[in-house]
Amino acid sequence: MATAGRWLAQTIAVVLLVMVGTTTLLRFAPGYFSDAREMDARYAAVTRAELSAEAARSHSLTQMLGTEIGGWIHGNSGVSRQFGVPVWELIQPRLAVSGALLLRGIALAWTLALFASILSSAGRRPSLLWQVPAAILLAVPAAALATLCLLINSGGPVLVLALLLAARDFKFLHRALHKAWLDPHVLHARAQGVRTRHLLRAHIVPALLPQLGALASLSIVTALSALVPIEVIFNVPGIGELAWNAALNRDLPVLLAVTMILALAVVCSGVGSHRTAAWREA
Amino acid sequence: MSLRRGALWLLPGLILAAAAVLARPGASYAYQDRETVLAGSSLQHPAGTDDLGRDRLVRVSGALLISLTGSLVAAAITTAAAAGVGTLAAFGPAVVGWSAMLVCDVFLALPWMFLLMMVRAAMPLTTSPAHSASITFLVLAALGWPACARAVYRGAVAQRTSGWMLHARSTGLRRAQVIHHILPNLLPLLIPQFLVSIPAFVIAEANLGALGLGISEPLPSWGGMLFELNNSAMLLETRWVYFPLALLIVVLLALEGAAAEA
Repeated sequence: MATAGRWLAQTIAVVLLVMVGTTTLLRFAPGYFSDAREMDARYAAVTRAELSAEAARSHSLTQMLGTEIGGWIHGNSGVSRQFGVPVWELIQPRLAVSGALLLRGIALAWTLALFASILSSAGRRPSLLWQVPAAILLAVPAAALATLCLLINSGGPVLVLALLLAARDFKFLHRALHKAWLDPHVLHARAQGVRTRHLLRAHIVPALLPQLGALASLSIVTALSALVPIEVIFNVPGIGELAWNAALNRDLPVLLAVTMILALAVVCSGVGSHRTAAWREA
Repeated sequence: MSLRRGALWLLPGLILAAAAVLARPGASYAYQDRETVLAGSSLQHPAGTDDLGRDRLVRVSGALLISLTGSLVAAAITTAAAAGVGTLAAFGPAVVGWSAMLVCDVFLALPWMFLLMMVRAAMPLTTSPAHSASITFLVLAALGWPACARAVYRGAVAQRTSGWMLHARSTGLRRAQVIHHILPNLLPLLIPQFLVSIPAFVIAEANLGALGLGISEPLPSWGGMLFELNNSAMLLETRWVYFPLALLIVVLLALEGAAAEA
């Protein structure tokens, strides 16, 4: 109970600090308060003067923070400056798109990484067949891999995300599995002729559960990072693409909402890894 | 093992070759020869030219040197900041330690690429190319330290409870007096963090540049040159467009190999 309370307090503190940080960053960004309508000749001079005065009134950081935090407490995430629609209406459909992309990408990445690392680590010598492609994939920027897939017209965002994640996951899984295969009790069991499938199920995987939990958490963070270039290059209407647009257009309400959702996702994924460790110890 | 050792030699070789290309008389990364736009390989332009008639080999060499220099500086700043924050958090008052780690959590709670993009987008977009390069690498340095600081913090806490530290404290040495013995003991932790940061920053700069938020033209950068891949008409004209990507992969493999070997 105390741990849950501590986690909740820490999550709230992190989310609040993220909110303060994002608002401060945007408040001091050059050109944040410039309004395109002030340069529009169709507006009367009085209207333009009123727009300038309104912008000047909202310059205070505390006022901006108060408005944002108050709005979130009342369940109002604000209105997008760029599109003029409620932020939640923009985010909701995109969450489903990005969520599906993330789930499919992570599932495929884990399947690939587990398959490759089990085959690679079970042998006496590390297999170059798996290690060389993984090393090359780690050296390719996400944006470049996405562009290459687009150019050769094979593989979509799911495959690119899966390949990027699989390379990273493989690196950790291979190392952990290789170490686990050399544990004395596993070596003894192998010498006794215990079947590989049984060894994996009864000894290797349970011993690796805490590390797998941490790796799952890391996969989510890596996937969220790769989401931006992948969605932008493949033109996927997801959270990453929305965030990119919002960052370029200084759309504070959208940026704030996306930032908080991502921060919550990362903090919650961290809890998942802690729970795995707790189950293992229980 | 021999591959990694080879990487240690490959990197200085590439840097020397890039410096030699840039030192050639008349070599300019910004000079546009409009008569030879999208040219293939020739004696004058061994790696061809881009869509503005600029020598691709010169631009790739410039990108290599700028990227490596910027990443080295950013990695040094990151490591120094992480060493300072991590040590302070471990040896300072509990409130300072807790606050420092909370700040680290805030940074780590946001995906790296997203955080970079957000901070870079908040910076002026109309600065000079040299300023845009400095801003890009400073942003990388400013956002790269929390993960490293967490590792340093754990190492410093282990040092705080180690036998030699307890012995030193029991003989009457104050915390401030023993703290300068801490950094040499943290070096085995800081050096790998520094080496691992370099390829991470090179990749981050390339990704930022590919999204249009990196180093601005005409200064050459990996990200800027990856932009060329978006132009399918250019790809039909010359295959040398892939050259920067291929070299970037080689450089990153060499950096990873060098970090692993060290």
